[in-house]
Amino acid sequence: MTARRIVSIWFPDLAMERWRRAHPDTDDAQPLALASEGPHGLVIDAVNEAARDSGAKPGQRMTDARAICPTLVLESADRAGDAQSLARLGHWARRWSPWTAVDGADGLLLDSTGGAHCFGGEAAMLEQIETAFGMLGFTAQLAIAPTIGGAWALGRFGASDRIIVEPEGVSKALAPLPVESLRIDSDAALLLRRLGLKTVGALADIPITALARRFRKHRHEVANPLTRLQQAYGTTREVVAPLAPQTIYRVVQRVAEPVQYVAILEPLLADLAERLCDALEAGQRGLRRVCFEAFRVDGYVAQLEVETAAPVRTPNHIVRLFAERLEKLDAGFGFDTFALTAQWHEPMEAWQKGIGEDEEKGILLPHLLDRLRVRLGAENISMPTPYASHIPERSLAWGDGQERFPSIEAPSRRERPIRLFDRPEPVTVIYATPDGPPRRFRWRYQLHDVAKAEGPERIAPEWWREKSTVRLRDYYKIEDRKGRRFWIYRNGVVDDRRGGPPQWFMHGLFF
Amino acid sequence: MPDPPLTPAKHTLKRLSEDFGTNPPTPFVELGVTSCFSFLRGASDACDLVEAAFCQKHHALGIADRNTMAGVVRLYSEAKTAKLRPVIGCRVVLVEGHEFLAYPRDRAAYGRLCTLLSQGKMRTIDGQWQDKGECHLTLDMLAEHSEDVQLIALPDEDIDAFTETLPILAARLPTMQHVAVSYLYRGDDRARIMRLDALAKGQGLSILATNDVHYHTPERRPLQDVMTCIREKTTIADAGYLLHANAERHLKSPEEMQRLFADWPHAIAATREVADRCTFSLKELQYEYPEETVPGDQTSQDYLEQVAWEGAAWRYPDGIPDKVRRIVERELVLIRRLDIARYFLTIKDIVDYARNCDPPILCQGRGSAANSAVCYCLGITAVDPAQVDLLFERFISEERREPPDIDVDFEHERREEVIQHIYDKYGRHRAGLCATVIHYRPRSAIREVGKVMGLSEDVTSALARTIWGSWGSSVDESKTEEAGLNRDDPYLKRVVTLTEQLIGMPRHLSQHVGGFILTQGPLIETVPIGNGAMADRSFIEWDKDDIDELGIMKVDVLALGMLTCIRKAFDLIDAHYGQRYTLASVPREVPEVYDMLCKADSIGVFQIESRAQMSMLPRLKPRTFYDLVIEVAIVRPGPIQGDMVHPYLRRRSGKEKVEFPSPHPDHGPPDELKNILNRTMGVPIFQEQAMKIAIDAARFTPEEANELRKAMATFRSRGTIERLESKMVSRMIERGYDLDFAHNCFNQIKGFGDYGFPESHAASFADLAYVSSWIKHFHPDVFCAALLNSQPMGFYAPAQIVRDAREHGVEVRGPDVNYSDWDNLLEPVAPGRSAVRLGFRQIGGIAKGDAEEIVRHRDRLYLDVEDVRTRTRLPVATVEKLAAADAFRSLKLDRRRALWDARALKQAPDLPLFTFSEERDEGEETPVMLPAMPVCEHVVADYQTMRLSLKAHPFEFLRDSYEERAFARAEQLRDCKFGVPVRLAGIVLIRQRPGTAKGVCFITIEDETGIANLVVWPDVMARYRKVIMSARMIEVHGRVQKDDDVIHVVADRLEDASSQLLALSDDPLQSQVDRADHVVNPVLSGLHRHPRNVRVIPASRDFH
Repeated sequence: MTARRIVSIWFPDLAMERWRRAHPDTDDAQPLALASEGPHGLVIDAVNEAARDSGAKPGQRMTDARAICPTLVLESADRAGDAQSLARLGHWARRWSPWTAVDGADGLLLDSTGGAHCFGGEAAMLEQIETAFGMLGFTAQLAIAPTIGGAWALGRFGASDRIIVEPEGVSKALAPLPVESLRIDSDAALLLRRLGLKTVGALADIPITALARRFRKHRHEVANPLTRLQQAYGTTREVVAPLAPQTIYRVVQRVAEPVQYVAILEPLLADLAERLCDALEAGQRGLRRVCFEAFRVDGYVAQLEVETAAPVRTPNHIVRLFAERLEKLDAGFGFDTFALTAQWHEPMEAWQKGIGEDEEKGILLPHLLDRLRVRLGAENISMPTPYASHIPERSLAWGDGQERFPSIEAPSRRERPIRLFDRPEPVTVIYATPDGPPRRFRWRYQLHDVAKAEGPERIAPEWWREKSTVRLRDYYKIEDRKGRRFWIYRNGVVDDRRGGPPQWFMHGLFF
Repeated sequence: MPDPPLTPAKHTLKRLSEDFGTNPPTPFVELGVTSCFSFLRGASDACDLVEAAFCQKHHALGIADRNTMAGVVRLYSEAKTAKLRPVIGCRVVLVEGHEFLAYPRDRAAYGRLCTLLSQGKMRTIDGQWQDKGECHLTLDMLAEHSEDVQLIALPDEDIDAFTETLPILAARLPTMQHVAVSYLYRGDDRARIMRLDALAKGQGLSILATNDVHYHTPERRPLQDVMTCIREKTTIADAGYLLHANAERHLKSPEEMQRLFADWPHAIAATREVADRCTFSLKELQYEYPEETVPGDQTSQDYLEQVAWEGAAWRYPDGIPDKVRRIVERELVLIRRLDIARYFLTIKDIVDYARNCDPPILCQGRGSAANSAVCYCLGITAVDPAQVDLLFERFISEERREPPDIDVDFEHERREEVIQHIYDKYGRHRAGLCATVIHYRPRSAIREVGKVMGLSEDVTSALARTIWGSWGSSVDESKTEEAGLNRDDPYLKRVVTLTEQLIGMPRHLSQHVGGFILTQGPLIETVPIGNGAMADRSFIEWDKDDIDELGIMKVDVLALGMLTCIRKAFDLIDAHYGQRYTLASVPREVPEVYDMLCKADSIGVFQIESRAQMSMLPRLKPRTFYDLVIEVAIVRPGPIQGDMVHPYLRRRSGKEKVEFPSPHPDHGPPDELKNILNRTMGVPIFQEQAMKIAIDAARFTPEEANELRKAMATFRSRGTIERLESKMVSRMIERGYDLDFAHNCFNQIKGFGDYGFPESHAASFADLAYVSSWIKHFHPDVFCAALLNSQPMGFYAPAQIVRDAREHGVEVRGPDVNYSDWDNLLEPVAPGRSAVRLGFRQIGGIAKGDAEEIVRHRDRLYLDVEDVRTRTRLPVATVEKLAAADAFRSLKLDRRRALWDARALKQAPDLPLFTFSEERDEGEETPVMLPAMPVCEHVVADYQTMRLSLKAHPFEFLRDSYEERAFARAEQLRDCKFGVPVRLAGIVLIRQRPGTAKGVCFITIEDETGIANLVVWPDVMARYRKVIMSARMIEVHGRVQKDDDVIHVVADRLEDASSQLLALSDDPLQSQVDRADHVVNPVLSGLHRHPRNVRVIPASRDFH
């Protein structure tokens, strides 16, 4: 077996550099730490240069760091985002070798065996890798060695940034490194230090039988220095398990005779949609944006795209979204190939729709929204949603139907007018102070005599979002002599020290 | 260092009772009152409610908290001050969803209500152990206990449903005569009230008006909303309909209520009827002492006299001294007059139990009543009245008729036995622990409010950080700015205001550390009892202030680590030196003991071992027991703030004449203060002295003195304090006293406020301080072992205790599999001299059971590591831990070798066949040469495994380099002149910033020759904050300061030298590297260092 060439890429500052890239306006002189919730409060994950200088360090509890450096700014760490980002970098690194793998929380491994000459040799390749990541804003420390363990150790504990070790130089290069470089946990490292075996070389000098006897119980690699030692020296084999490429959901259909008549595109599309949805179902994904391509014999490609309000996997729905627009396609000399590609998809669990029947009766609200948007344009569609607030005009919110609002457990017995004015209109009212019901009022130049009144319903301002001068409202349900019913309110009460005498407003109609 | 109070002081009315007139009776009484003891529901405390009620001309006020009586005493005492009539009740919430206001008419009905609540709190409906804070009641339970309890049904939101349930309720609950109605501006109020009125009439009931009060003023609505959010774990923006639409649920005046209910006058009249029918008052909860402490048909007083004289004869086998006889006689007369004999007998019973345990549990009483000759004769205390002047009469106030106060401390490891004995003897229905009300402290308040208001964690913790320590009472403005927050931001202002309102609100009830209430009749008829979070604990709903307010007796059964230590020391002295001591038989007033204390040689001694106490000892130079009493009391905020420390020291050292301020001859005898201040050289030091001055010199009536005493304990009532101050000062001046003296006396009273220390406590503590000093001086070996065996306790870590013992010539030996026990032992060295053998308890991760196994199988010496494993059958991991702690030295194995051997052990199954097979199945091993372990690494490993090292001080390895840099040793400070510049370096032991020291920070550092005390002024502190807060080892440039024998180094410059400590274990690693080889030079510098930062020095005790 020829010796393998493994590249270890270590991003010592991944989290902070990623944060910095997302927030380009950060003042670097300001000590900053990224922290996440630990069992006993916040724990620092990463710090910037300024924070490091003022004494903060990863692993420290937030309160301790704050005690040392009171000006430390705290942002929350995004470990999931870091991991995703690292996976993306791993895919990106496949330009140098198809065999790339994510290594822990902050490193990558590449198997570049036999491939370095494409990039001008190993030294040139490492330089290229470092520069490439540097341009993305990530500091990287690199090493090439014949084993994963060797490359890992030299990449993290080696003296220089780019280390290249030939097969015959492995033991010499590793010998002076501390035992921690063997990818063992802290307990194992502490034990080795207590035994006086502080370097890889010292450990390698101990007879294997003696070591085997002492670490035989430790099956887990990170607790077993002997396994790790053998992996680093290449006596046991360890391979880079490459990242799986991302699945692309795309279905293609060729036809023998070019299609010139657009009306028959629909069954074709239905066929494609069914196949795409099957593929998505297997991957537990749902469509958010889908692209239909029709390839014309003369080299022109017609494209249609639709987006959906929620993940979908229903072929009929997809077809309906495209259907009206298919007619506008210019077939020219005819299409001979069709493709349907999922451009944006989200996780969507498989569920059973029901026994016997495949689809529920009626139409799902998200599907309706999709159809209306396709027909009327996304910007023209909005939908009222109940919003938990006592303030009448806040109790409904207009949105695209996807917002999440505070829990709705509306007090149903509160009767609200059918029509609520966007802007309450001033009315003049005769009433008994302080909070008697109105007797007579004038609205839009018309005088109304009050026949019946109910109230007041007192609604106080939402103190957490309004100024302290905002006044409470006393709402009355009014019926005039003609039986018309109004909803009017008095803004404020006498002597509430929030302005002059209270004003009256018409806020809605019950007819 | 003063201990912060466990809870913030109680919020009481700012005004005195004389400020309140009596309101004439009104037709309306508010009965639907939810106070803050309906946790996270009510937003006003009793004090606010009463004040608002008084101003609105109410003459009576109800209280009805949700399934609890926890707040009734507060309302009762505040209402008493404001001359309102408290109407005591509660809001009963059933698991079926029905709610009632429940107002008992008399004592018996009150007892039934308490029994009902207790049942709901102690057992779930299906009879299981109820969770803490829960209360499950059913309609059946309520019906069973509702006789003479006036019930007022609270209708559901849904009146249709209520229409159906009301007839059922009315049939089951004959005492339910009313339906509550509210006018809360909901729009449909009139219709609703009409409907309910008709509904009630249909059942022969009446409606009753209430405003469903949740706060005392509409301005409290925001706080109530925030509390709702905290309760429902949501934010204010998301709370939506969980919040109320308006702020109407506040206390309204009788006129306003009459106006709202003008159409339903019978609803108003009903409130008055219900209130007037409640004749029950909390005053009726007269305390009945348990009877079983008196045998036969003797009266308790006769029996007490009998046992007291028997005890006296036992205490003084050679005859009772006349002095003692006179004191005992006088005290017995007083006890008879106050009728508190059974109280003493109850305590004697508990103490007797502890004493008759096998082995006996050491205990000692303290508190005002404990300072009596009778207590000495009963064996409750150990302060001999023949030698020490006792103060009994001074503390028992005949006027107040309050129950006496005795706390009994027990060995902390065995207190649980005493508690269980009390439960066994008196039964859970007659014995209960007091509650402690847990209040929102500034930090918790800010966190909760911030979360509700949607502030980010960052802003919230920045706000939280603006409070130093956890007992600040308000948000400090300057600190808010320091944290980079904009004070003018209106949203933030609102958060701060809300936080300030939330601070001090009760959050939940917890059990008191050991305050027991014992009764003759069932306790559950006096107060509801609930379960604690700990298994087998139940506690009543009132805290100790409430108990005091009602004049109910309690016995504090407390745990004290030093008693454990002293008992273990007595046992060791008995075993090794053949003398049996008790607390009372330790030789008193031995000059050598005081000599030792005068040198501030007091590490480990009870109470006087702290830095502040140690720097006071050489100044005070205690020579008698009473000096120790003063020593204990003087290093406290009271005397410090009252500026009494220096005058006392000056007078004691003869630099100032002892004088007694006297009134004008027309106003009284010139020596009226001499009686009070004689024993403290004319300087008031104890709490009672200040009080006595108020009574004698300012002619305070007992009632005024009582108000003063309460005000002292309250930080919120600044207004009251100022009123009392002018009253006291002006009266003293009137009577011819010096203005400055009057002011100083009062300042001291203010200082006592939060951390008062009465003479009686000081005397009991001084007694233990003396006994522990005596042991330390005559048996330093015993003291060391006993102290280590009682850990965790006291001020110092094991490393300092061991170091101190070795400095006193005690040989200390490391733990060893062939010699050690679980506990630290004494090994005889020469007659009268022993060495301390450290026990396995000092090794981290070794369980007591493991240690016992090792001892049990040690019939012959262990031969090697394998032998330990096969004979003890301990897990290999445990053997490894022993090896890592270097416990195989007697087998000629050092740590490294033992660890190497231990790693090779096989975790064999415990089969007899294998266990006894001596043959080793893997054959002999090829010997491996491991590098020898340098001493400095051993020291580091010792600290890692035992937190101390006997081999060397880590500093010894650094001394050479410090010598070169002209750094002094700690021991050299003694020879330095005042003001000499000096450089020092040492490991940080303690950093403190006491509240009384105006921002000065004190740091204790240690090198191999001893400890040194650093003083860091605030400006230096600000500059070197990072170093002070983070360094484990510090280099100081400063100046020497001396005052008597007290030496300080005032720091000018500080540097972090922690990296030197790490070098101890990393050094050899670097030296192995060939420095010429730069290609692979594993220099472990740089910022991205991976290896674990091993912390070798135990974390020091920090402030913040």
